[in-house]
Amino acid sequence: MNNEYDVIIIGGGITGAGTARDCALRGLRVLLVERGDIADGATGRNHGLLHSGARYAVKDGESARECIAENRILRRIAPHCVEDTQGLFITLPEDEEAGYGLDYQQRFIQACRDAGISAEAMDPREAVRLEPSVNPRLIGAVKVPDGSVDPFKLCAANILDARLHGADILTYAEVQSLILEGSAVRGIRVRKRRSGETAEYRARVTVNAAGIWGQAIVRMAGAQISMFPAKGALLVFAHRVNHVVINRCRKSADGDILVPGDTVTVIGTTSTKIPFEDCDDLNVTPDEVALLLREGSQLCPTLASTRILRAYAGVRPLVAADNDPSGRNISRGIVCLDHATRDGIESFVTITGGKLMTYRLMAQMATDAVCDKLGVSEPCTTHTALLPPTVDNAFTAGTPDGELVCECENVTMGQIRSAIRNFDIHSLADLRRRTRVGMGTCQGTYCVRKAAAALAEAQGSPADARPLAEEYLGERWKGMMPVGWGDTLREMEFMQRVFKAGAPSTFK
Amino acid sequence: MKFDVIIIGSGQAGMQVAAALQRSGRKTAVIGLGRSINEVEVKPYEQLGGTLLIGDSVTGGIFDGDRLQAVRTANLGAYPLEADDFVIATGKFLGRGLVADMDGIYEPLFGLDVDYDPDRSHWFDADFGACQPFLRFGVRTDAQSRPSVGGRTVTNLYACGELLAGVSAVEGRDAIAGSAARVIGQLKPSDHAEA
Repeated sequence: MNNEYDVIIIGGGITGAGTARDCALRGLRVLLVERGDIADGATGRNHGLLHSGARYAVKDGESARECIAENRILRRIAPHCVEDTQGLFITLPEDEEAGYGLDYQQRFIQACRDAGISAEAMDPREAVRLEPSVNPRLIGAVKVPDGSVDPFKLCAANILDARLHGADILTYAEVQSLILEGSAVRGIRVRKRRSGETAEYRARVTVNAAGIWGQAIVRMAGAQISMFPAKGALLVFAHRVNHVVINRCRKSADGDILVPGDTVTVIGTTSTKIPFEDCDDLNVTPDEVALLLREGSQLCPTLASTRILRAYAGVRPLVAADNDPSGRNISRGIVCLDHATRDGIESFVTITGGKLMTYRLMAQMATDAVCDKLGVSEPCTTHTALLPPTVDNAFTAGTPDGELVCECENVTMGQIRSAIRNFDIHSLADLRRRTRVGMGTCQGTYCVRKAAAALAEAQGSPADARPLAEEYLGERWKGMMPVGWGDTLREMEFMQRVFKAGAPSTFK
Repeated sequence: MKFDVIIIGSGQAGMQVAAALQRSGRKTAVIGLGRSINEVEVKPYEQLGGTLLIGDSVTGGIFDGDRLQAVRTANLGAYPLEADDFVIATGKFLGRGLVADMDGIYEPLFGLDVDYDPDRSHWFDADFGACQPFLRFGVRTDAQSRPSVGGRTVTNLYACGELLAGVSAVEGRDAIAGSAARVIGQLKPSDHAEA
């Protein structure tokens, strides 16, 4: 790894990954640094909803137009990450009482059409035929082109494509400071978390794509940005209850989107402002769980009696408008800051705000800003260039690579080995983000030992399989605790029996 | 049909009690889904004359004051099974001997009194490897291994196995066997030598 680059990107979430890819495709020498694993922040802690934009149509036409444009692009460039589920916006009798009845539905449909989103009113009985799990009390439904997206795979595909185009990717490396010379940012000093070593990397431009943690990066450059961490909690159900995304046709609120993804269904989200110090250790509270279940059961009544797999939460990086230090005027749109014009700091760009859905557009804006500074005129091609597959999938049953490791998510030994070859993987959580191993309905109970053995062997230290497995089960356990009753509690008892039966302290 | 003792639950504790009492001369029946039955115990028990109603499950009881007279089962519908004494060994959450919902924990067949911490945040230790508090929850009994409903002891019902507070397979099988032995001690005819 050479220590001189055209551009350094800080942050291995979807925004940083997309920016690294765009910069690499335009011929720049790129280094991306990430303090943990790729996609282990907000990128992997959301619904995985491929928004049609309909949710924003009434209130924020610009966001709606951005969403539908990116929705179409992602279906084209990342078909392996996207599932075309379609979506319903339903109206319930209580929505009508609250002023969001069929008049509002008409307004909603018109706003969608104005933004270029196809929106088709459906007879409630027809909606039940399309999605049998939907609340049968509905009085109206609108069909829109929502879908679901696998954010882990999407992020990994961007990382891989960046690397295929020459980018260097450095994970588990935390930025400690920026190299400042005069009024310019000339690079970064990082601490490699696994070895403890420090290193310097220099670049002509540095891009801050660190999400909520980007406020601290801006401060390292001697400038200020006002960000507000907003926690969003979600629940995963143990099977795929619905096959069409279900939303409420009313003003956006908590717990009003139900997304089928892979083998599960996800309800979310809440929105709670939290202090910065909580961002690295998010807990889902009993109140959040109760709210999500109550609202989720309005969309789909069987959720009330469906096993909950786990609860999780992410942090939205909300940014205050520059002219409003109070933070009341918060933008949910894309914020791309050229710190030269804003703060007089050369060679430094911050890209933040936005959403998973608009990551590609954010990356394009950031890369345009970088190219502008470097005098590069290569056009953006990410709206047409296909993303690569992230792990090899073609393994023959009966061969060692074809052996099934994770039965819930259908992950083979070959996929695990391929992920270990393609990415920097140190834990089963890293491996889960690349392959979905242990992510399904048993939460790793059946496969964790096999997967741990495979990873430990690949790392050349077979004796480490046990601590790898313990670490993974501990992480799963944390997500199950907030929803530990009913069948989830039965599953928890089962996990304890499988790993500790007769010897409670052996897992210490 | 009337038995001396009906045992509800066909796991380790239930089968241990059933075999010992049958051997001691009492006429017993076991009702259970059989999910955790030890197959090698089936034939010896039946050869002793025990009645195994595997695949059936108790749906409720018929009480006469503080005494359980009979139980109804899913398969036998309108024909309750009577006995002088009953043993309940239906297990913890996995076996559905206990049921937890968002508001608390209960025993679903008879509403037996359960010892547990009402604050759900105390049910778990965040360390997966630690002893988990929820595995210590369970039915409360008196010194004769008899559970209660609303604080009143059911005079001819005995509880054992993982259903009990403080007993869990995760913490070892000995405690399960010990609780079953205590129930056998209560129900074995004292003037009757083992057959």
